[in-house]
Amino acid sequence: MPAPPPPTAVPAGPAAAIEVAKVSKWYGNVVAVNDISFTLGAGITGLLGPNGAGKSTMLHMLSGFLRPSAGSVRVLGQSAWKNPAIYAQVGLVPEREAVYPFLTGWEFVRLSARLQGLPDADAAARRAIAEVDLASAQDRPTGGYSKGMKQRVKIAAAIVHDPRILVLDEPFNGADPRQRLHMMAMLRRMAAEGRTIVFSSHILEEVERLAEDVLVIVSGRLAASGDFREIRRLMIDRPHTFNVRSSDNRRLAAVLVGVPAVTGVDLEDTRLSVRSSDFGALTRALAPLAREAGVSLFEVLPADESLESVFSYLVKR
Amino acid sequence: MNMPIAWLTLRQLLGAKRTLLLVAAALLPITLAIVFRLTDPDVEPARFIAQTLLGRLVVGTMLPLAALVVGTAALGSEIEDGTAVYLLSKPLPRRVILLPKLAVCAGLTLAMMLVVTVVAGAIAAGGEEDGAAVILGFAVAVAAGSVVYSALFVLLSVYTTRAFISGLLYVFLWEQVVTRIFTGTRILSVRQYTIAVADGVAHVSSSVFDGNLDTWKAVVMMVVVTIAATYFAIRRLERFEIGETA
Repeated sequence: MPAPPPPTAVPAGPAAAIEVAKVSKWYGNVVAVNDISFTLGAGITGLLGPNGAGKSTMLHMLSGFLRPSAGSVRVLGQSAWKNPAIYAQVGLVPEREAVYPFLTGWEFVRLSARLQGLPDADAAARRAIAEVDLASAQDRPTGGYSKGMKQRVKIAAAIVHDPRILVLDEPFNGADPRQRLHMMAMLRRMAAEGRTIVFSSHILEEVERLAEDVLVIVSGRLAASGDFREIRRLMIDRPHTFNVRSSDNRRLAAVLVGVPAVTGVDLEDTRLSVRSSDFGALTRALAPLAREAGVSLFEVLPADESLESVFSYLVKR
Repeated sequence: MNMPIAWLTLRQLLGAKRTLLLVAAALLPITLAIVFRLTDPDVEPARFIAQTLLGRLVVGTMLPLAALVVGTAALGSEIEDGTAVYLLSKPLPRRVILLPKLAVCAGLTLAMMLVVTVVAGAIAAGGEEDGAAVILGFAVAVAAGSVVYSALFVLLSVYTTRAFISGLLYVFLWEQVVTRIFTGTRILSVRQYTIAVADGVAHVSSSVFDGNLDTWKAVVMMVVVTIAATYFAIRRLERFEIGETA
C-alpha cells in the first residue's frame, strides 16, 4: 500500500473558528444550557462538566445538530443550524458507539470520503485510516470491532476530509492507553497545524493532558473558560496550597506565618504546606523571605492546581 | 442520485432479517396460486386473482407490509441507532440523502411485489385472457403503490420512533377497517388508489373486479401523496435534531 500523502494545509479563515453568543437551550421547563458565550480559535479545548451539565447539548449545537432556543452558534462565520455546507470544514465524532456493522472499516471511511465529494476518496481514506493506526483491521466488518477500534474508525471518518474544525464527544471512550496516547498525539499535531479541536470528556486527566483551554459547564452555565491554571489562580476566594521542601522547614514556616498573604501553614515531618489567598504575592515574597532567613528552597509545588482541583471547586461553588 | 447513499441503503436493507422474512412471506401468494390450480375450484380464475390473490393478499396485505418494513428500516433505524449522523454530517442538501433512500425502498418493494404479482398471477391464471389483463393491471398498480407507500412510510420514520406501529395501524386499522365502514375515507387510502389503478389498466368486466375510486382521481392522489410525503420528509431532515441524552 502506498504511503499516504501528508495532510493539506488548513485554509485561512476567521480568527474565531467557533463563536457562541448568548446561547440557551431549553426543553419545556428544563433549561439545558443557559446564556453561554465563548469563542474558540485554533488549538485544543476541553469541555468539562458533570453528567447532565449540558456538555452534549453544547457540542450538538456546535455541530449543527441542535437548534439553540436563543442566541447564535456560528462556525467559520456561518450559522451552524440548518447549514450542511459547514460540514465540508467540520468533522464530527459522535458519542454513540454505533457504526454501520455490515461495512468494513475501509468501506466506512471511504464512504465518508465519497460523501464529502473528495476527488481521490481512496487516498483520503487510506491516509485517515493510517492516522488512527487501523490499517491492519480495515478489511474487517466494523460490527466485530472493539469499542476502541470503533472510536478510531469514527475519528478516521471524521478527519478524512482534513476539516478545519473537529468536534469530538467523549473520543477516548474504550480506547486502551496506547491508543489514547496515539490519538492525543494526532490531535495535538492537528491543532499545531492550525485546526480547532473541541472535545468533551469526563476523564479529567485526559483533558488536563490534552487541552490547552477548558470550558467548564455546570448546571447549564459556563462556570469558567480559558487555561485551567489561570482559572485556578483567579479563584482568589479559595486559598492556594503549596507544598514546600527546604533546608529548614520549621524556620521557614515561622517566617511565613507573619506574611499577610499567607492564611495558614502546616508542618508535618519533612513537608511544609503553605496556604495563601494571593498566589502572586506569595510567589513573589517566598524566595526573598527564604534568603533572608538563610533557608534554601529545594522545591515549591502548587498542591491544588490540577484540573481536578479546579473542576471540583467550580462544581461545588 | 447519490450512488454511495443508494449503495449503503441497499446493503442495509438486504442484510436486515426483516427483509429476509419478507422474501419468505412472498412465497405465500405463490403457494396459494398453486393450491388454486391444483384444486380446480368453480371460481373464475380472473376473479380469484383480482379479488383474492392480488387484491386482498398482495395489494391489501403484502405490499403495504413490505413497504412498511423496508421504508421504516431505510432511515428510521439509522436515526434510532445514531448512525444517521454519519450521513447528516456531510455537506449534502437533505434531499440528496433522502431521495436515494426513498428510491431504493420503492425499488426493493416494487421488485419483490412485482415478482410475486406476476408469478402468483400467472400460475393462478393458467393462460386465461382475462387473467392476463388483471395481472398487467395489478403489475402497474403495484409499481405505483410501492412508490406511494414507500414515501409515506419513510416520512413516518423521520417523524416518529414508533413508525412501524403507526404504519401497522394505518394499514390494518385505517385501510382495512375504517375505509370499509366509512366509505368517504377511501380517498385517503393508498390501498384504494392501488386497486383503482389496477382496475383502470386491466379493463375487465366489473363482474370480475371493480375499484372503488375513479382511476384518475386515484392517480392524482398518488402523485399528491408521494410529493407531499417526500417534501415533508426532506423538511423534517433539514430540521433534524439529535436526541438529547446530556
